[in-house]
Amino acid sequence: MKILTEHESKKLLAKYGIPVTREAVARSREDALSLACEIGFPVAMKISSPDIAHKNAAGCVLLDVGKQDVDASFETIVANAKKHAPDARIDGVLVQEMVPRGTEIVIGIKCDSQFGHAVMFGLGGVFVEVLDDVTFRIVPLTKLDAIEMTEEIKGRSILAGCDVGAIVSTILKVSEMAAKEMIFELDINPLIACEMGVVAVDARAIFKG
Amino acid sequence: MLSNVLEPDSIAVIGASSNREKWGYRILDNIISGGYLREVYPVNPNEDEVLGMRCYPSVLDLPHRVDLGIIAVPAGSVPTVLEECGRIGVRGVVIVSAGFSEVGNSELENRVRDIARDYKMRMIGPNTFGFINTHLHLNASIIPQMPEKGGISFVTQSGTFGLALVDWAASQQMGLHLVVGVGNKADVDDSDILAYLSADRHTKTIMMYIEGIERGRRFIDVASRIRKPVLALKAGRSRAGSKAALSHTGSLAGTDRIYDGAFKQAGVIRAGTLEELFDSALALALSISPPAGSGIGIISNGGGASILAADLCEDLGLHLPDLSDDTVRMLKDVLPVIATPANPLDTAGDGSYEMFKDVTEIILSDRSINALLVIYVHAEMVDPCLPAEAVIDARRGCDKPVITSWIGGKSIGAAVKRLEENRIPNYPLPERAVVALNNLVRYKRILQKR
Repeated sequence: MKILTEHESKKLLAKYGIPVTREAVARSREDALSLACEIGFPVAMKISSPDIAHKNAAGCVLLDVGKQDVDASFETIVANAKKHAPDARIDGVLVQEMVPRGTEIVIGIKCDSQFGHAVMFGLGGVFVEVLDDVTFRIVPLTKLDAIEMTEEIKGRSILAGCDVGAIVSTILKVSEMAAKEMIFELDINPLIACEMGVVAVDARAIFKG
Repeated sequence: MLSNVLEPDSIAVIGASSNREKWGYRILDNIISGGYLREVYPVNPNEDEVLGMRCYPSVLDLPHRVDLGIIAVPAGSVPTVLEECGRIGVRGVVIVSAGFSEVGNSELENRVRDIARDYKMRMIGPNTFGFINTHLHLNASIIPQMPEKGGISFVTQSGTFGLALVDWAASQQMGLHLVVGVGNKADVDDSDILAYLSADRHTKTIMMYIEGIERGRRFIDVASRIRKPVLALKAGRSRAGSKAALSHTGSLAGTDRIYDGAFKQAGVIRAGTLEELFDSALALALSISPPAGSGIGIISNGGGASILAADLCEDLGLHLPDLSDDTVRMLKDVLPVIATPANPLDTAGDGSYEMFKDVTEIILSDRSINALLVIYVHAEMVDPCLPAEAVIDARRGCDKPVITSWIGGKSIGAAVKRLEENRIPNYPLPERAVVALNNLVRYKRILQKR
């Protein structure tokens, strides 16, 4: 089982044309500051480690970080990560653009023993498992399959103000990715959808072998 | 070719026995008493005669090559018997014998499958109750009863439950064409049978009881091309995904949800309960064409039942359209003053022939109504056959689906029989009628997608 970091996972998404946040991994405080200046303030800062799945719960995500707080944020995130998981491999701190508010969606992949790869779509965010409002289709999906998925979740009315076309196109790109890559499981959570377009804000890909 | 197995011109029952306790006896007895008119040969080295027929020691001794071998010998003897079938050119086999992968003996099952493939024989089973083809009067199974002839074909995964279902279907006077127990599916699986039924001229509606599908993507590809309704009940609805999953997707991906998605892609109507499976198969098999849209009309002689039905329609997303001005005008002419000409329509207790005939005709003529549910609540003063005859007459010449719910006990028996004879799907409760109606509409949507 090989688990990709958020940043590596998003590089994979970008390869399939899925919009992702502008971001880079900072190895040091100085690095973080110069990256943040390039990206533009405020930024989001998160730990970059394949071993920490629930970054938020570990205190390893800080949002709306301003210029004067970059140094301290870097230290806090690394310290919290070490406290949470002393043996975790740490690549550095991911510095990322802040994405405007929108609807939080989850799109995922699961490899099933009978049907092969399946794509999941539903309401995302930190409460994804509590909301439990998701639906599946087997790869490869048709455009009609993807449209139906957006129409059949219980919370479909929440999507009313979103760019449903961009959501549908993302579902299809994920289907294409599932067909081509040896993915075991994938979460894009959240994919933020607004009036115009979508952007993958967090992602986690797990490969077989 | 599966037709060699399911429509054989000649059969050898291998393991045929005079012992009434044995499957080899029951199958041969069922074949004979079912009225199969073509050649049957009992095969068993330990018997000279079975059920008054000459018994052959081995298939190698048969006077003619046969299409189908039905094998009911102990599991350990199956490979030898199968080899012999292959050598004389038997085209397909049904292996009734148990004791294979279902008890952990996959090695024996693989060996048997390989022999069948080497000789290019299609194989159903092992561990199946066999099959029934009513149009050939062929009961090549251990099911003690021959169902009524009809357009529904039923594919079920083996086991006692599958057997009981078939027995039940037969007792429901449900018209069946083919009943197949797929057993362990070592060679022929659900997708193979679906592909066969898709082209089979007798099969109008396909009903499946599924415990698991192995080659999932192929099932979707085959099922999504069928232009006949396919209904499935899938056992094991646990929603829980893997607790050890590394992602949210992994933990939310219960088997049931994957099947849900797969059935939608396959254009298979998933039934939630046995009742829904059977009720909907009946409605789909008897309807000349699916409704053109989701506009449902409801007529009843008692308010309560039609409101229950209307509530459930709303829950299921069925539409109860307002009636057109013309329809309302025509209804006003025939309804009692206290009744309101609306949908659902309540005749204010009038269950007479004239009333039911008039309102059924008028509402069926409304362009926004695509299918009609007529509910009759039995009141002691009325002969329940009269409103039934009214629906039968009013429906004549109209291709919109009409289904009924005659509510009552023994006293409505004759009326229900009349409805059945006239191929009107009737249900003892209005909720069951609505669920069946909903699946007619679902089928229409599936056709529209194709």
